[in-house]
Order: sequence, then C-alpha cells, then structure tokens
Amino acid sequence: MGEVIRKPIKPLQVNPIKLSQPMGATLAFLGIDKCMPLMHGGQGCASFTKVFMTRHFSEPIAIQTTAVTDVTAILDGGDYSIVEAIKNITKKASPSLIGLHTTGLPETKGDDIRGVAAKIDFPLVHVNTPDYEGGLESGWALAVKAIIEQLVEASEELDGNKLVLLPHVSLQPIEVEKLKEFIAGFGFEVLALPDLSTSLDGYLGEKQGSLSGGGISVEQIRALADAGLVLSVGDSMLGAAKALLEKNPAMRHHHFAHLSGLEATDALVERLLAETGFQKPPASVIRWRKRLQDAMLDSHFSLGQTRFAVAAEPDQLAGVCASLREAGGRVRLAIATVDSPQLVKIPAEKVLVGDLEDAENLQDDYDLIVGNFHAEALAHRFHKGLVVRGFPNWEQIGNQLKNDVLYEGGAYFLFEAANVAEAMRAATHHGRD
Amino acid sequence: MAPKPKIRELLDESACTHNKTKKAACNAPTPGATTGGCAFEGAQISLFPYADAAHLVHGPITCLGASWETRATRTSYPGRDLTQMGFTTGISTNDVVFGGEQKLLDSIAYIVEHYAPEAVFVYATCVTALIGDDLDAVCKAAKQKYGIPVVPVHAPGFVGSKNLGSRLGGEAALAHLVGTKEPEVSTPFDINLIGEYNVTGDMWQYTPLLEELGIRVLSTLSGDGRVASIRTAHRARLNVIVCAKSLISLTRKMEEKYGIPSISLSFYGKRDTSNGLRAIAEALGDADLVARTNALIEREEARLEEKLRPYRELFKGKKAVLNTGGNKTWSIASALQDLGIEVVATAVKKATESDREKAREYLGENGVLMMDPGSEQAKIIDATGAHLLLAGGRSLYTAIKKRISFIDVNQEKKKSYGGYDGLLNLAEDLKNALENPVFKTVAKRAPWEK
Ligand code: SF4
Repeated sequence: MGEVIRKPIKPLQVNPIKLSQPMGATLAFLGIDKCMPLMHGGQGCASFTKVFMTRHFSEPIAIQTTAVTDVTAILDGGDYSIVEAIKNITKKASPSLIGLHTTGLPETKGDDIRGVAAKIDFPLVHVNTPDYEGGLESGWALAVKAIIEQLVEASEELDGNKLVLLPHVSLQPIEVEKLKEFIAGFGFEVLALPDLSTSLDGYLGEKQGSLSGGGISVEQIRALADAGLVLSVGDSMLGAAKALLEKNPAMRHHHFAHLSGLEATDALVERLLAETGFQKPPASVIRWRKRLQDAMLDSHFSLGQTRFAVAAEPDQLAGVCASLREAGGRVRLAIATVDSPQLVKIPAEKVLVGDLEDAENLQDDYDLIVGNFHAEALAHRFHKGLVVRGFPNWEQIGNQLKNDVLYEGGAYFLFEAANVAEAMRAATHHGRD
Repeated sequence: MAPKPKIRELLDESACTHNKTKKAACNAPTPGATTGGCAFEGAQISLFPYADAAHLVHGPITCLGASWETRATRTSYPGRDLTQMGFTTGISTNDVVFGGEQKLLDSIAYIVEHYAPEAVFVYATCVTALIGDDLDAVCKAAKQKYGIPVVPVHAPGFVGSKNLGSRLGGEAALAHLVGTKEPEVSTPFDINLIGEYNVTGDMWQYTPLLEELGIRVLSTLSGDGRVASIRTAHRARLNVIVCAKSLISLTRKMEEKYGIPSISLSFYGKRDTSNGLRAIAEALGDADLVARTNALIEREEARLEEKLRPYRELFKGKKAVLNTGGNKTWSIASALQDLGIEVVATAVKKATESDREKAREYLGENGVLMMDPGSEQAKIIDATGAHLLLAGGRSLYTAIKKRISFIDVNQEKKKSYGGYDGLLNLAEDLKNALENPVFKTVAKRAPWEK
C-alpha cells in the first residue's frame, strides 16, 4: 500500500468526479418496488438527478421534489412543502413508499424532517443527506441504513436459508444480479437491499414510469430480520449491516470490502462453503474460477507493462484496483471521490481524495485511466487508454449490464483492460512511425 | 457595482406572454408535481458557452457534480474550452457554518493563476445564497485584484425555474459586461445573437450565410461566444433573439439603454430559416441587403430542394405525432412539414401560451394539440394511422406497441437540425427511423406467449 492523501490540496474542485449524497439516496430508493424518491430541496437538485440517472441507465427515472422556493425557504420548516408534495404525489400515483431525503438547502435552514415525517400518515422513510457532506456512496449507504431502521421489523426468528445482501452504490444492476445468483447457487434465498437488478436493469416492459418498477418490495424489507445471514459488500455498507443486526442480534454477518477479482471471490466462496457445509461450490463457479485464472494469465503480460490511474467511489476503487493489481497491473494512482476506510487498503502507489484535475496534473504517471465518462476528455488530450467505469457514463450504452464482479466479471474486466492497453500501445506506435 | 436584479420585477416582465396569463404563478413550482430545472441551471445554460471564461459554481457538489460536461455547446475558441470543465467550491459543513467567502476568493485566485480566463462567472446556489455569502463583494475584490471581469450571477435554484435563471444570467452579462469595451470596428450590419447556445453547432448552420450577406455577428449570448465581444454588444444595430423568449427582458433593457431594436426568430426548418434571414435583413433596413438576402434564400432553398429530392418520395403521405415541450412543440413540427411530413398532433402540455399559439398556427385546424399526451398519443396514432412518433424515451413503448417508428427527440442530440443543412440531418434520421425494422422486430411476441 502506498501513500494516502486525504486532505485536498486546493480550495476548490476542478473537473469533479464527486457526486452528491442526495443522488446516492435517490438511487437507493429506486431499488425498492413502487417507491417514489422525494428530494427535499430546490427543484434543480431533483431535475439534475433525474437527467443524470436517465442518461446513465437509459431508463425513465422516478423522482419528485419538494421544490423549495425562496419564499418557502424562509417561511417553511418543511411542514408545508413535504406534506404538500406527498399530497400531490399520491393524487396521481400510489407508491408503496416515499423515500424522503434532504439536500443542503433544508439542512442549512435546519428543517426537522424527522418531526415532519412523524406527522405524515403514509409509508415513508426519511434520511438526512446534506450535499455538503459525504458523496454518492455515503448517500446510498445512509438511505439503506434509514430504510432498515425505519422499516425492518425486529425479529427473534432465524431462517437459515435466507440471506440479505447489502451492495454498495457502484454495483451496477447486472452485478447485483450476478451476486444474487452466485450466492443462490449455494442454496440460499437471496434478497438484495436495495435491488437495482430488477428495477434499473434495462428491460422492455410497459412502464408507467411514474414510480420505480421492480426492486425489493416493502413487505420483503419489513421481514428481513429473520435472515440467517447478512452479507455486506463495500465498507460504506457497514453502518447498514450494523443497523440490520440490531433488529436481530442472532443474525450472522460477513463483510467484504469488495467482490472483484480472484482473491476476493475466493474469500466469499470460502465463507459460503463454511456456512453451508458444502464441499464444493456449483460446477459453474468452479469453471468460472478456472476461466478467471486463465484470463489473468492471458492478460498479465499486457497489464504488467501498463501503469494505471483509477478514479472512482471508494468501494469501487478498492475492487477495480485489487482486480488489476492481482493480474499484474501497476496502479500508480487511485483517486477517490471522498474519504473512506477503504483508502488504506487500496493496492496503489498513491491514493488521494481528489478530482480529474489532479489526474491531469499527474498524467505522466500512468498510461491508462479507469474512470467515469468525464475522464474521456483527459484521455483524449494526453493519449491515454480509457476504460469507462462508474457514474456517470453518458457516452456509452449498456452500463446496467456491465459486469466486473466475481470470477466471471473479473475475467471480462481484465480482458477489456488489457485490450484497451494494447490498442493504446498500437495507436502510440503507429503515431511514432 | 450593479445592484442585484429584482426577482419580482423580472417575473412581472411585461414582454413575456407567458406571464400575461399566469402572472406570478411562473415562480411557484408545486411540491411533488414539478419537473424541470432550477434557476441556476438556466443561468448555466445562458452563460456556460463562453469558452474563454471560467464558470465557478459556489455551492455544494449537487449543483455542478451532475451538470458539467452535459451540453454539447460547440466553440471555435482556440484555447482550452473552459465550458467543458467543471469548477466548484464544493462547500462543506465548515463553510456552511463559518461562511464560504474566503474559500470563494481562494478559488477565484486558483483559477486565475492556473487557467488565465478572460473572465470568471461566479454562480450563487441555494446554500450559499441562504448562508448569505456576499458574492458581490468577493467578485468586486477579485476583479480589482486580477483586472478581469469577475461576474456574480445571482440565480440560486430556489428563486425559480430554468427560464427565470436564463434571464438572470443574461441580466448578469448586461450589468457587468455589455458596454465595458468598444469594438475595434463597427459596421452598419452588426448584430448580436441572443439565446443561441450553439448546441451541436446549430449556429454554424446559418452564420456562414450571414457572413456571406455582409452581416456581422458582433457578439453572442452566448453560443461560440467570447467575453471580449459581449463587452462590445452595446454597439450592435440589432439584437436577434433565437428561440429564447426568456431573454426578451434583456433585449428590452438593451433597447432602453442603448437603443438597439430586437427581433425574435428561429432557424429551425426551411421556412423558419428563410424567414429568419429575411427578417434580419429587413430589420437592418437596407434595401440592397434585403435584395441580396432574397437572392441567397432562393439559391439556398433550391440547393436544399435538390438534396431533399431523394427523401421526398419516402416521406410522401407519412404522418407524425410529436410529443415534446417548449419551442420544440412547433419548431420540429415546422421542420417536419418542410420535409413533406404531415404533423397530425403535437403535445402542448409543457408549452407556453405563445408556443401553443404558434403550434396551432403551424398545425392548422385539424392538427391536435395534446394537453395530456401520455394518454392521448396512442389513440391519435390509431385514429390517424401515423407512421412516426417523435417523443422522449418514456414514449418508446407506445411506438413499439403500435409498431411504428420512433425518434427520441429529447435525447441529447449529437448533430444539428438547425438551418438549411440541419434539415438534411433531420431527413436522414427520419429515413433511418422509418427504414429500421427494430420497432417491429422487438414488438414480436415471445415464443412462449404465442
Ligand atoms: S436547486 Fe439549488 S441546490 Fe439544487 S441544483 Fe439548483 S442551485 Fe443547486
């Protein structure tokens, strides 16, 4: 592990990769069936979020806003705008849940949303997610924690077959599905909270579009506390896992910093074998491990001569860097959106909380960058290879089906990274001829 | 330093037809039933295209984090295109408690040192407006220190809609930039283009024609714009507002202050482009220019007709339903009609009163103006036998179900539909949509549903 720089070295962000807490919360609520995420703030925050998610997933996105104005900002403590918003939402649709989350504006004026929520007679989860703290990852995590605290009913029963998966924000819909299937292969009934794998996975259906469609149901959430096992993925999810265990201390919990690459997936399999007493995982898992081994060997030559920069949310950063490193990739620079306990574990020479200007200033250090689509301009400018990962990616389609996790996704990811590295080298040589 | 624009005053803007019918209601979004961006986004839209200026967003990460590098506004500026960069103070809890002015000042200093912009626009957002950071004072100090314009833009999201924000953005340019510099030369045919943002290079579809006619674009707000040229905008002979009613207040003020008359037009489709060119020439009041313009229009229309000929046969008898908002409700309709496609319905739910009037004008008596397109469009497709649905992604399923072709009009376009040549791009896209079997193939039942 290399140097970790947590404190920003400049007064501002230039070409930020950081995204806001309320946006993360919105996304979490979109993983619940028939939910209406309600963002408490000026109308623009919700509008930007809607456009952002729509373009990333190429799907209609349900979200509403309390549309705080200059007048209500001063006169209202949230009572009016939140109550009014719920009245108007339920006039047109019948959500199973309202996911109320704040932005910086109401937090600055000190709205008591818990107090307002207590007066509302409608299924609702409230969470404080000011956008001057944390980021996308923590917003998602805070929302999941709030959902658990406010919805899950305490239990003393245990269903040894039932498993709750708590995925971090950067896992794309197909990755959540792959995790669910992988674990289900060991005989578990798996429930993911939130579950984007059935809501934002991009399927053709007759969508109303006004509410989220697919995802875990509110009834399922209420009854989560009898699960025998809880698996959290990503350090941001530890708080949510803890909240769930409080609903039933008899539940067993396993945590994984990420599930990318051979070693991390091995650790998961080891746990699942121990929990089930199975001798071996399903045949397809065994097969995929062999394929990943082969992929690592096939790609190691290319990756071993490539210097990487990776920019992402901390939990994804940890996974991507581990995956590259174990196949020989030289991760010179890892840029995190925000601080996280993950940072000290990341196998990179330099880890810093920063933005794409930092990546630009250090561009001599790497050949290929893994980052969101904003990295494209930088890659283009300095002739770097580019693998687009993370939020947002508006330049490519199919984001919801991009799979980097477990043995299978790991293999695809290494192939992609190595192919991009080779194409980049070919282009550079060509340029020199 | 100019005082902050008064929000009420702007809302009661007399030149806005929208407001005649709806008075102050423009400003009161309904909680739980609001779509559309905030004033900050509007200001961003109207000023961001100045590629030689840095745009610093003073607020938490929401405002800029999800909004930079979103709009394909193109520029010919040879330096680094600062429009496609994101600058934000990204304020934290500490700033909320103790104020963000120092951080703002430091950020401006950082930008000036590292990027040497021609100007810095500083945008207030909800939180920084609420905590009372004195943008004017900070900008004034920075301006004095660095000798470049540092323009405070007071359009925090909570003051209202995107439209209001565009106005406030324009107001900021007027208050701090316009009239602060003299042009090197003046011509009798100098114009300003107002409200043209050069998205996908729309503006370059017609500016070569203006140039050919000897009409000089002195400055723009703000497509392919430069700070130095907007500073000279007060010397123009005419303000041309391109498809942006929200900026009418700005041009009215410029008329009052500098005596510059204004006209409002669109460069969408053949008729509108021709009418637009003619209107500019006539407004500049030169008989020779008008004659030259008419000749050019004739030439261009003939050239276009020639190029459109292969499409005409394909489009003959085709009917389209249009479901979009704002000025697209009539501008795309007009372009479709220029291509010989009958527009049987257009959505006016999200259109202003004057956009509705225009839509009625273009569609004629038999055209349907849909107030509730979500439920109406499927029925209209059935009743008219329409072949094409142009709408946002949400309506895709309607097209699939009706087995007709679909074009996503709200998708951030990559190519321009503006001017004469833009019509060719539109024709090509329509042709591709009509010939694409995908809408019928994906509508097929699954083997297990037969
Ligand atoms: S509503 Fe306010 S906080 Fe939200 S994006 Fe607009 S300016 Fe920023």
